[in-house]
Amino acid sequence: MSLAIPNGLDNSNDRPGQRAPLVLGDTNYHSITEAVCKIAEQPPSRAWVIGFLVSVHLATMLGLCIAYLIYTGVGVWGNRAPIFWGWPIVNFVFWVGIGHAGTLISAILYLFRQEWRTSINRTAEAMTIFAVVCAGTFPGIHVGRAWLAFWLAPYPSLNLWMWPQFRSPLLWDVFAVSTYATVSLLFWYMGMVPDLATFRDRSKNPFRRAAYGVLALGWSGSSRHWMRYEKAYALLAAFAAPLVLSVHTIVSFDFAVSQVPGWHTTIFPPYFVAGAIFSGFAMVITLMVPARSIFNIEKLITIRHLENMCKIILTTGLIVGLAYGTEFFIAWFGQVPEEKFAFVNRAFGPYWWAYWTMIACNVISPNIFWSKKARTTPWIMFVVSIFVNIGMWFERFVITITSLSRDYLPSAWAYFSPTWVDWCMLIGSFGLFFTLFLLFCRLMPIVNMAETKATLAKELHMAHADHSHEGDH
Amino acid sequence: MSHKAVAIKPADDPAFQLPASLAGLSLPMIIGGIVALVGGAFFSNSAIGGRFGMSSYLVAYMYCLTLAIGSLFFVLIQHLTRAGWSVVVRRVAELMMIMVIPLALLFIPIAVSAYTGSLYAWSVEGYQADHGIPDAIWKEKSLWLNPNWFVFRSLIYLTVWCGIAAWYYRGSQRQDETGEITITEKLQARSGPAVIAFAFCTSFAAFDWVMSLAPMWFSTMFGVYIFTGSILSAHCAICLFSFLLQRAGAMRDEVTVEHYHDLGKLIFGFICFWGYISFSQYMLIWYANIPEETHWFYTRSTDGWFNVSVLLMVLHWGLPFAGTMSRHVRRRPWLITSWAAYILVLHLIDLYWIIMPEAGVGLGGATGIIATLVCVIGMVALMLGLMLKLAAGTRVVAVRDPRLGESLAFENF
Amino acid sequence: MTESQPKPQTVADDKKVHGVVAEFTDVDSLLAACRRVRDAGYTKADAFTPFPVHGIDTALGIKPTILPWIALAAGLSGTTIALLMQISLNGQTDLFEGIQYPYIISGKPFISLPAFIPVTFELTILLASFGTFFGMWALNGLPRFSNPMFTSPRFDRVTDDTFFLFLDAKDSRFDEAGAKALLGELGGEYVEPVLEDDSSKVIPKGLLIALATVICLSSIPALAVLRMRVTKSSSPRFHIFPDMDFSPSKDAQQTTTLFADGRAMRPDVPGTVRRGEMDWDLNFKTGIDMDKLASIDPPRAAQLVAMQSDVAVDGEDEVVSEAGADEPAEEQDGEAAEASEPTAETSAAPVTADNTPWLSENPLELSEEALARGQQQFNIYCSVCHGMNGRGNGLVNRRAQKILATTWTPPSNMHDPTLYSDVYPDGKLFSTITNGVRKMPGYASQIKAKDRWAIVAYVRALQVSQNASLEDVPESERTKIEREQAEVQAQLKAAAEAEAAKAAEAASAE
Repeated sequence: MSLAIPNGLDNSNDRPGQRAPLVLGDTNYHSITEAVCKIAEQPPSRAWVIGFLVSVHLATMLGLCIAYLIYTGVGVWGNRAPIFWGWPIVNFVFWVGIGHAGTLISAILYLFRQEWRTSINRTAEAMTIFAVVCAGTFPGIHVGRAWLAFWLAPYPSLNLWMWPQFRSPLLWDVFAVSTYATVSLLFWYMGMVPDLATFRDRSKNPFRRAAYGVLALGWSGSSRHWMRYEKAYALLAAFAAPLVLSVHTIVSFDFAVSQVPGWHTTIFPPYFVAGAIFSGFAMVITLMVPARSIFNIEKLITIRHLENMCKIILTTGLIVGLAYGTEFFIAWFGQVPEEKFAFVNRAFGPYWWAYWTMIACNVISPNIFWSKKARTTPWIMFVVSIFVNIGMWFERFVITITSLSRDYLPSAWAYFSPTWVDWCMLIGSFGLFFTLFLLFCRLMPIVNMAETKATLAKELHMAHADHSHEGDH
Repeated sequence: MSHKAVAIKPADDPAFQLPASLAGLSLPMIIGGIVALVGGAFFSNSAIGGRFGMSSYLVAYMYCLTLAIGSLFFVLIQHLTRAGWSVVVRRVAELMMIMVIPLALLFIPIAVSAYTGSLYAWSVEGYQADHGIPDAIWKEKSLWLNPNWFVFRSLIYLTVWCGIAAWYYRGSQRQDETGEITITEKLQARSGPAVIAFAFCTSFAAFDWVMSLAPMWFSTMFGVYIFTGSILSAHCAICLFSFLLQRAGAMRDEVTVEHYHDLGKLIFGFICFWGYISFSQYMLIWYANIPEETHWFYTRSTDGWFNVSVLLMVLHWGLPFAGTMSRHVRRRPWLITSWAAYILVLHLIDLYWIIMPEAGVGLGGATGIIATLVCVIGMVALMLGLMLKLAAGTRVVAVRDPRLGESLAFENF
Repeated sequence: MTESQPKPQTVADDKKVHGVVAEFTDVDSLLAACRRVRDAGYTKADAFTPFPVHGIDTALGIKPTILPWIALAAGLSGTTIALLMQISLNGQTDLFEGIQYPYIISGKPFISLPAFIPVTFELTILLASFGTFFGMWALNGLPRFSNPMFTSPRFDRVTDDTFFLFLDAKDSRFDEAGAKALLGELGGEYVEPVLEDDSSKVIPKGLLIALATVICLSSIPALAVLRMRVTKSSSPRFHIFPDMDFSPSKDAQQTTTLFADGRAMRPDVPGTVRRGEMDWDLNFKTGIDMDKLASIDPPRAAQLVAMQSDVAVDGEDEVVSEAGADEPAEEQDGEAAEASEPTAETSAAPVTADNTPWLSENPLELSEEALARGQQQFNIYCSVCHGMNGRGNGLVNRRAQKILATTWTPPSNMHDPTLYSDVYPDGKLFSTITNGVRKMPGYASQIKAKDRWAIVAYVRALQVSQNASLEDVPESERTKIEREQAEVQAQLKAAAEAEAAKAAEAASAE
């Protein structure tokens, strides 16, 4: 019943024609259940408690900053003419980008039958939801009078005598991000129901059992249910895949439909999507590398999983690099003076440091993944993933701020300086993200047990078939 | 997963050979193709005049080239992702991708046209004066758009494509004989850098060969746009050729309904992707409404081109999107193959719509369209003839690929 | 969900038996058993597994689901709703009475399909996803919290590592003994009947009360908002964000502690030049011959220079000098008013002599274009009071007379001889337009200096035109004018006759 791997826990090599197993060690169905449920059933470890306390503090700081902002007004930010889209929008695009990997892993890799997704998709989906929560915060407070944000909804308002403006990209964004948040939530929750049933059935405490019982909706594992469930899962994946693309495309429209030099370029949609995937996978690595060792699930989230993610980071990093290059080339080729200036200004203007940080982190640092050793050494990929996160934040900074700070009216040019509120909100958003993530780790099944078991069943079956096949000869 | 242990046939099984009925078509196709191509180009040139003749040739050229480099990308990506399902249809793609070598020779007329001014507006004497382009701008433009540098760049693109295609083709052929697993490993290991070189060349070739037809126009997404059409049509061609080969008697048991289902899914996906890319490009230019950019779409919304634009939207995206959405369609080989053939026709119209308006003579009328069609049919026939000749000397399936078994047993869920 | 053990057969007899269940430990034996059960004719058999088992649908003969069709229908309704919503709300329809939003945004038509595509796409996906998600649970009959399968504690392992095959009592083939035997024969372990769940299905009262309380409490804010929407209150609104409601911005004449001079309104930065006014000299801007003024009244000339150039005369007493600069203007206005304007009450002759060296010539180069410009500007800014013909009978004046406005000073008649250029020089007229007079405000901020001069020119033309005789018109035009005059008179006559006839008719009808 078990698959012994000769070289320990390294399954990153496979001979063509044979597939290396994705579930390692002396694993069976029950041990998968044990390994995953234990994380939520045991008392929290000290690392978790410290991490949680720090995160909650930072999240509280975000909350206080928001209260201060709403009470005082958006002047507390560094947004000044002509840079009206300052850090809040940078942070928004950054977090929305992070939020793409989850649904991508769940939906697109599912459609491409990449079975290595099974043990990381749950965490990635959770990460998506939390990142979208962080992302949604920023435009919400950036509208100024946040308590009137409901004006964005199309409802017959006899006070305002007007409707939302559907020809505005900012309204598309409202629809895109909220649809994405909703569908991701459905997808995440639906995927979790069978595992919540496992939690329910293992719970000894009646309250816990009742709570998980309600969340599991009475799941019984019936084959008829599974059949419809799988169909629904495939359908949701098919809907979520173009949705992922559309969300960052529409975020890119926010910039690209305008005429601001450096924003208006047609490659923005695919380039934003690639960038989002890039940063999302980096964040998954940032979370998974410590999580798998803290929670002791290296047999489920194997080196192979991490290596594949590194490869995706490398690929998307190079796509993003190619897009930077193309933008530069076309800015010159197009011979529009403002456009040419905008790009020279990015690289050699007052924000040169941001531009070259971006290039170094996004285009250069992932190239270490050409080396197999780097792709299979967790600490190296952790470091690179941090670099990529930094680089992608700077990418949004470069796009948003350099273009706005020097637009068509030279007499209005200005240099952007963030205030302490900007800083605290950026840091606080990480606090919010990690608070939610750490809570998730304690309360929910962080690995998709049902799918991992299905993968294991398939591998057992294959091993069995190969074995009997060889026996025939 | 009911894993059926499918027996792999021996390498010299007749199922892997090109059926004689097809092999015989090779020579007539090559000869007929050359005649039609040359005849069509001359007819188009003399009947319509201007830059129309060479534009017809470019349509034919880009049509074959997009199929070839699309197939090249297909092969690279299968190696890159260590895909198992696609092994049975990969040889078909390999035969198509190696056509970049004859296509490199067919590039000569285009290279010559860069000097004679018979295709690209920027190479026409007096373009700057006629369009009132300031000297400073034209001087910098000419740094990129001048015949010598243009031909030099084109040579780089063609060399890179031919190099990659030849290397992968040879590797796959050698494995047919020896069955060495290390060959697959080597092909896999090089696929990453190869994809990057490919992406770079494809993007810039699209800028140089197609986008520069309108010298002052620019769109950063244009390379992606051409690439999308290319990868979509390549999948359609793989589906169509596999089907035709099966009808002729080859690889009857190897390519199953599951493979058609998978190709169908990818075709469906790329139809959506094509819609996404072309819509995004249009949307951004339409919304920002900057004269430097809108003139490209303006040309395509006047002078009869408007109808073609609407037609493309409906027929290249709407209809096939609805048509290939259902699993039931994708699991019927003849049905999905019909859609594939349909897309291949639409891909031609797409290229016609991209290239021809810049020749400056409108739709070209019945004469122009027929002349272009003759050109295209000629070049396609030539390519098919060469492919058949090549296929006759080898096998139509990569018979000793280590993942052949996996591909044979492949099932969708 | 209960702890009740399956009791011995005797006790179980009086409970309803739902079917028979057996356990399997691996996929292959389960699949084999499923096939045998299906072949034995069971149609309602079901397997319970910890994960989706590939191929079990065919092994059990489960029919495909209609879920894709639900998703398609939901998706299409999303498309329709989105398109209808956007077209009706941003188009020029009047869907809800009175609420329309026909705004032109960045030159796009009201109904611009490309711009509607993103929202259409999102709503399609959203509704299709809802259809899939809720459709799946509905088809599965979930949530369902009471399930006879859950009565056996062994069944807890169905979500862990054990596979169950269940033969339903509703199946026509079913008989308990036979089913047990079949399952046993197929290698199933722990073959057991599934018994009615006899645990209480009553929801604890405490839970219900708690739930009701939470619902009630959570509806309070909504109810409060609703109440406020329908009631009126005389007390001022509660200000949550005072500094947004009462913004610290100041009006023109207010004071502030922010600046040393205490003025809220800031003077232009020294050296500020309006667009297009760079090369106009002071004479042009004031209507006064500054050189002459400097010789007869140097202090006033200096003040005017300071005022016009906004350059502080003396750095240290900026405030004083600027405040002082306002005075002469007023003085001058007063003077002008008293000097030359016939007021409503007195129509008196000038009281004080005006020694200002007004420009007597319009510095503007006169042309048809300039006059046309002057006419246009006059008609826009002046005619509301002074009337289109300059006789002071504009709409505002007529209205004021009608309502007997006591504070109203009637506007001057431009055709009064005191306003002719010999007694009221062009420069003075210009200054009046610029700075105002009596009730008339200054128009310097609305009308550009050049246009003010154009108005002056037009007023002069107007004065000539209203007092002209036929001899003033060039020969070539005379016949035309005579003809027109005749036509107009004929028309007037006809109109008068028609009126008379109508009146007579009305009278006779009565």
